[in-house]
Amino acid sequence: MAVRLFSKLKVLPEFRNVSFASSAAAPATLSDFDLQHKTPVIRKQKLIPKAHYGGRHAVTMLPGGGIGPECMGYVRDIFKYIGAPVDFEVVDIDPTMDNDDDVQYAITTIKRNGVGLKGNIETKSEAAYVTSRNVALRNELDMYAYILNCKSFPGVPTRHKDIDVVIIRQNTEGEYAMLEHESVNGVIESMKVVTASNSERVARFAFEFAKRNGRKKVTTVHKANIMKLSDGLFLETSRRMAKEYPDIEHNDMIIDNCCMQLVAKPHQFDVMLMTNLYGSIVSNVVCGLLGGAGLLSGRNYGDHYAVFEPGTRNTGTAIAGKNIANPVAMINASIDMLEHLGHFFHADLLKRAVYKTINEDRILTPDVGGTATSTEVVNAIIGNIGL
Amino acid sequence: MSLIGRNIVRALMQGSQHVSKGVHTSAVNADQNVCFAPAGISTLQPNATKEGRIKCTLIPGDGVGPEMVYSVQEVFKAANIPVDFESFFFSEVNPTLSAPLEDVVNSIARNKICIKGILATPDFSHTGELQTLNMKLRNALDLYANVVHVKSLPNVKCRHNDVDCIIIREQTEGEYSALEHESVPGVVECLKIITAAKSERIAKFAFDYAVKMGRKKVTAVHKANIMKLGDGLFLRSCEEMAKLYPRIQFEKMIVDNCTMQMVSNPNQFDVMVTPNLYGNIVDNLASGLVGGAGVVAGASYSPECAVFEQGARHIFSGAVGKNIANPTAMLLCSANLLAHVNLHSYSKMIKNAINKVLTDGKVRTKDLGGQSTTKDFTYAVIQSLA
Repeated sequence: MAVRLFSKLKVLPEFRNVSFASSAAAPATLSDFDLQHKTPVIRKQKLIPKAHYGGRHAVTMLPGGGIGPECMGYVRDIFKYIGAPVDFEVVDIDPTMDNDDDVQYAITTIKRNGVGLKGNIETKSEAAYVTSRNVALRNELDMYAYILNCKSFPGVPTRHKDIDVVIIRQNTEGEYAMLEHESVNGVIESMKVVTASNSERVARFAFEFAKRNGRKKVTTVHKANIMKLSDGLFLETSRRMAKEYPDIEHNDMIIDNCCMQLVAKPHQFDVMLMTNLYGSIVSNVVCGLLGGAGLLSGRNYGDHYAVFEPGTRNTGTAIAGKNIANPVAMINASIDMLEHLGHFFHADLLKRAVYKTINEDRILTPDVGGTATSTEVVNAIIGNIGL
Repeated sequence: MSLIGRNIVRALMQGSQHVSKGVHTSAVNADQNVCFAPAGISTLQPNATKEGRIKCTLIPGDGVGPEMVYSVQEVFKAANIPVDFESFFFSEVNPTLSAPLEDVVNSIARNKICIKGILATPDFSHTGELQTLNMKLRNALDLYANVVHVKSLPNVKCRHNDVDCIIIREQTEGEYSALEHESVPGVVECLKIITAAKSERIAKFAFDYAVKMGRKKVTAVHKANIMKLGDGLFLRSCEEMAKLYPRIQFEKMIVDNCTMQMVSNPNQFDVMVTPNLYGNIVDNLASGLVGGAGVVAGASYSPECAVFEQGARHIFSGAVGKNIANPTAMLLCSANLLAHVNLHSYSKMIKNAINKVLTDGKVRTKDLGGQSTTKDFTYAVIQSLA
């Protein structure tokens, strides 16, 4: 279990409290990436030797659709500039294809590299048998936990200041089970699947995350008053898990109330744990509170693999090619990736440059109230590197 | 008379070279202010010093190694490359003067990169020690993958043209286990060790390298028809890994056939992955195809470090001090090293300079059919830096 692997690191709680990949503070030289590739795990899966040669990592890059390719271009420019020891293996997925060859290949490359950086992949085909590529990717790689760090950027004007919430979302089941059928003409049933094992490991992941990052409270978000069995199981599991972590406060909240509270009083939340669909909704709500889709980055974790992507899974097709897309989300995702791989030196360089650009120099794209173009933002970040 | 005449000509030539070198060096610097000033950032490395210079471990080695390394240092100096060398005298044939293994290992582990001349390995052992210094170094750093990129160079006359293959060799196990014993007088057993973990690791390395370099095919070289268990395991591991790379063609070839194919039709090979001893043989054979030990660069990789050394490891002791050895291989190594630490512009600069000198064909060392010295060649490269 990833949580167990990661928990082997001793981490100073005050250090990097926003980060899951907090092994920077650990004296051990093992990065999260190393741990994922070292420790034997519960699911019987053949461990593949890691793609780490002469200090350089190979990483799968899935540019996806919309603004993905241009953002990836920026990331590559920046990585080249800072000399990040990462070699990207780019896999393009044709969104119009009706077969899954490209997706399967992408999954294979992530399996052998262990790490991926992805934009949002479009699924243009309406054919029922073509599943969503993003969902297929997460399910196939068994990346059951999704983390979104939502921390306010002081330089971005928003209604609420100093929000600091971590959203942890079950990423592989629930409403996204993709089991739908028409039992009688005109009646469609969609199955929501909640399993004890998946609920348990995501709950443990959340509490372990809270413990290691010095968080005080975990809030389970659910709708167990209506879906008494499925969401009931999820809630019950997290309550049970909470007993193992007496230092961390645990409460629960119904999803509708949660959304209202989030937009009204977001500061009451610390770590939030939820099922798949609620996670999707809540992360978009919080992203909206902090300044839209273009800033935050999300992380998908499984036992063996980690995939980093912009926080809200929107392709941004409408603004593609106009040089106004916000490149920060993808750059933040690449910082997460560098930290996961253990390249803290380069991650910190980049992190500081991004912070200075957004919060001190206030060079922002139109979506967060600025006037700069994407390339201007990227150039400003590059200019701030190493200062 | 003729002797005096020759000396005068040589003196004049050297003089002119020095002058032009001086002129050109400053020209390079001037250029750098224009094209490399923003790329000064390329020295943002964890192992960089405060001034943004990169540290690199340097092992001159035995035989002509020190001369080759000197050539590299001259070129680096002339091109103003921000690399500082941490030099160690490291030698098996001169154990009293040699730096301790731990010091060298620590230095490489700290700097992550190393450039290394060839270490002489005597074929007897005074102490009964079976591991050579090379093997100790590899094992200590876990430098498991040796990569030799065999590529025809311009204007180097060989039997075959356009050879371009990458040979990847496992170099921490197999026949090089240093496990030999005489069980009964007159009967010596040498253990060849093959493990699944290391075979999979090298196979994955080979495929990942092929992906990174945009190659199409990986050939596993083996002798599983005779060593059904040992090489069989190696082969199975490669087959297993090949399944993860559906877009790269995988084929296997028995080592004896492979050597024959290599000398008759080397263009069919792309990336080759081999166990230890076969790799050693194929490396040397392939190097011979494109001009010999003096022109082929190689590198050894561990997960953390990279050691750049010549592809075919010969100390060329007959040429020591004679100023005739070919520094091309070592210079190519240094260019690869620069690319590895993201100093791509410098790397290209050196590679282009070497290509230019070779293409011009005026300055050739003895192994390429010329009469020029090591230093002549080095200065010719320096003059071609642009």
